[in-house]
Amino acid sequence: MPHHAQLSRRHFVRSCAVVLGAALVPTRRALASPIPHPTPRPGITGAKVLTREQLGDDPKLVAVFDGVRAIPQVIDGIRCNCGCASTPGYYSLLSCFEGDAMARTCPICQGQAKVAVRLHKEGKSLDDIRVAVDAQFG
Amino acid sequence: MRARVALAALGALGTLALARPSSAQIRASEIGSVSQIVDGTKITVEYSRPRSRGRDPLFGTRAVEWGEVWTPGANYATTLETSKNVKLNGVPVPKGKYSVWFVVRQRGAWTLALDPKAHRYHEDKPDTNAAVVRLPVRVDSAAFTDVLTWSFPEIRADGGTLEFRWERRRVPLRFEVEPSLTVTLAADDARPYLGRYEYREDGRPAAFLVTYDDTARTMKAEWVPNDPYFKRVAMIRVAPDRFVPGLYDRDGKIYEVYRPEMLFEFKREGGRVTALDLRDDADSLQWHATRRP
Repeated sequence: MPHHAQLSRRHFVRSCAVVLGAALVPTRRALASPIPHPTPRPGITGAKVLTREQLGDDPKLVAVFDGVRAIPQVIDGIRCNCGCASTPGYYSLLSCFEGDAMARTCPICQGQAKVAVRLHKEGKSLDDIRVAVDAQFG
Repeated sequence: MRARVALAALGALGTLALARPSSAQIRASEIGSVSQIVDGTKITVEYSRPRSRGRDPLFGTRAVEWGEVWTPGANYATTLETSKNVKLNGVPVPKGKYSVWFVVRQRGAWTLALDPKAHRYHEDKPDTNAAVVRLPVRVDSAAFTDVLTWSFPEIRADGGTLEFRWERRRVPLRFEVEPSLTVTLAADDARPYLGRYEYREDGRPAAFLVTYDDTARTMKAEWVPNDPYFKRVAMIRVAPDRFVPGLYDRDGKIYEVYRPEMLFEFKREGGRVTALDLRDDADSLQWHATRRP
């Protein structure tokens, strides 16, 4: 089976999950005008990002959270595009990985974080990362 | 005086009905609503739904008189709310909430009037102020509809049809939404990306061919050999060097954009595009292709 054919079918299923997620979370995502990206808070840390112990035995999920915890000053400067921005306590994409951690189940939160972590490793600036995140998830 | 009291009572009942739509009380015109999102624009119609209750005809009678300015609903005026600017039958309608009115005529087109004062009782007809959006609407014959109904019987990528039905009248309103993405791309902007990108798939060679459609002014791409599912996709630019695919239907219209599920990211060396990555919504690299001369 061609790789891209696999992609289409796999993504059909995954898209359904995204749509289901969208139904639960973000009518707002589709409808709200984009809010500006937040300014990273001085001295922000990843101390509140959930840990392996809190996340359970899901290596992929743990890897995403670990990646976020390592670059809080970057993730705190990115707007989450999943529609959770109006929830209490929200400040940035970093908020999605703390406390109740919507990112545990939200593919949009996870996808944005993965893009940010990869591009940061590639040496991209926060502005470049914001553009890339918005291009795919905005 | 009694008529006034009765009207006030009706108004109060209507208010109660709107304020507490779930309260258990039988209404001649129960409250309903219908919403549709198209490309990020949400359109909602909220209305009280009168039943025919054996009355046939309804139009041209005391129920709805010819020449009347009538809200296509009951009690408080039917409202239409749109989250972004739209066009109805080609007429611009700024985003907002409107009360909805028809000028019903025995022959020829009716007039649709959308009044920015959304909360109006059905007897509180809109005046002729400039803020009211007016447009002629076609009235078709249709099968008998007992309960006054608004619906979205047709959806397209860039709009659809909002339809009114009651008795044997049908009024289709074609709406267009503002596109969230720009599909067209100037030829000069597309030129740096055009070419053949090769990669290996399960150990075998595969390719992705990026071309430009002068007629559609659109950058397009296809797999070689052609993928029967994707066929030839529109490459829609979402950021510098980043594109998402738009899938065409048989009429050559885009019916779905795979975003965020697929992202094509062109890579540059020394300013020149030399490679292409395909990533999914989990940012996993699906393939890395090298540009061939």
